[in-house]
Amino acid sequence: MEPMNFNFLCGDPPPPSGLSVGIIGAGPSGLAAAGYLSCLGHAVEVYDKMPRPGGLMLFGIPGHRIPRERIEAGTLRMARRYGVIFHTHTKICCSAPLFEEEGDHFCNEVKGLGEMIKKHEAIMIATGSWRSRRLGVPGEDLPGVLSGLQFLFPIRAAHYCAPGVKAPDVAGKRVIVIGAGHSAVDVAHGAVALGAASVDMLYRRSRSEAPCGALEIDRLEAAGVTWHERCLPEAVLGETTLAGLSYRQGGELKTLPADLLVAAIGEVATPPFAKELGLESVRKGEVRWLNMTAIDNVFVAGDALTGPSKIGKAIYSGLRAARSLAQWLDLKAQNRQTEFAGDELISREADRFPGGEFRDAPRVRGR
Amino acid sequence: MDDGKTLFIDYSKCIGCETCEYVCRFVGDMPRIHMIRAASGFMAPLYCRHCAEPNCAKVCKRGAIVRDVDGAMVLDPMLCRGCESRQCMLACPYMAIFETDKGVTVVKCDLCASRRQRGKKPACAEMCPCGAIHYVTRDEAAGLGDEAAGEAEKRVLDFLRPPKAKPEPGA
Repeated sequence: MEPMNFNFLCGDPPPPSGLSVGIIGAGPSGLAAAGYLSCLGHAVEVYDKMPRPGGLMLFGIPGHRIPRERIEAGTLRMARRYGVIFHTHTKICCSAPLFEEEGDHFCNEVKGLGEMIKKHEAIMIATGSWRSRRLGVPGEDLPGVLSGLQFLFPIRAAHYCAPGVKAPDVAGKRVIVIGAGHSAVDVAHGAVALGAASVDMLYRRSRSEAPCGALEIDRLEAAGVTWHERCLPEAVLGETTLAGLSYRQGGELKTLPADLLVAAIGEVATPPFAKELGLESVRKGEVRWLNMTAIDNVFVAGDALTGPSKIGKAIYSGLRAARSLAQWLDLKAQNRQTEFAGDELISREADRFPGGEFRDAPRVRGR
Repeated sequence: MDDGKTLFIDYSKCIGCETCEYVCRFVGDMPRIHMIRAASGFMAPLYCRHCAEPNCAKVCKRGAIVRDVDGAMVLDPMLCRGCESRQCMLACPYMAIFETDKGVTVVKCDLCASRRQRGKKPACAEMCPCGAIHYVTRDEAAGLGDEAAGEAEKRVLDFLRPPKAKPEPGA
């Protein structure tokens, strides 16, 4: 299979510019930014806590949806041909304590942001959204209750033989999946494939409102999953281990026994040091320069900025932030940053800002 | 033998991540491939097939859609007068011509003409994480895709133009 071409904007590698850029996070948006900036001749170094670059394209989304080889060959090509350096197993932190997220057990080196600012001319933060949203019902801390990522991630990560990472033990167990997004679907399929005794899927709204779509639910049912709609989880049952789930369906309180409960109800963005960077204003577009944070030369892109989105949006955000970063570096080299204050630029692009609506979205007649 | 170039998208491999649309937007400002989501939940990018016998070119009174050297059907914005009836949009069986609200009235895929001039492939094909988009000749495209791809393609086309005899529920 042909590699994904992150360097699609240029042909042969350009002559070196002599500038160095650090990118934190090797997911879709970090890799897109790395591709853009290495096409300009900047020396790009990418830091990621995981053992391989690729982010959730590699570790979250199952291999039958995104072929692993295509991503791996793409990052290898970027490293070989365009000299991008990948620092895997490396996490970048402020003085703040480590976030407790999936994938932390992989990282064996922790670097500070201050160190990075000294080393590179500019930094791009593209750390994505790794922290799982919680159910907010009693008992959800019981062993046997997992988030969508906690379930999906080890299945892929076990390929990389990291100590302490095992595919979840599902064989012969009764599994409940909460949620009806694409990761919930992947969890349910994964549980069936790993030999679960039964898989029940609970969603708070109806089949036609499910984010994954009715077609996917039909496919799940064909695979042996039981679908329950309009279910609101009330409490996770069990003393020391998980015993089941009580939920309300149409005002009626019901219980369902379970050995494993997976709450695949979405993730939240995990930018490091959001407050120091003033991310709230970046999100609203109240910045001096597109995608630049409160700290000079530190940019932010992708899901770290917008919250969970889609690969396409993350890539677009990474590309645009990289372009903005490159322009900033250009002006800085001439010491002319103040001449082109971001106001006009930003208002021109406001509707395309992360979170902004695309007013110029393509229209299809008759639909 | 038909060695004109085209895109082939295997809809059964597509996960609806919108990378194609956003990369196209980055390269060309207005995206010329567009992700749709049907009521039943499947997602599929609408794209130009650069047909051997293109309806869009046939109906365009100005002759603004023409075939270029590589076989791509390209819209010449100098000739397009932006007719109110939008004949080309209506004629396309794949709904792959899009209205815009700035500059030219309609846009369509030109297989990344400016990239091809420099020996590069269309950007969407390069960046699709699933490898669902192929940049191939029309002959090769006819031979690509398995049963699942054919099924998925039919689902998309039935959604665009619901069959008269038995309308699909929810389509």
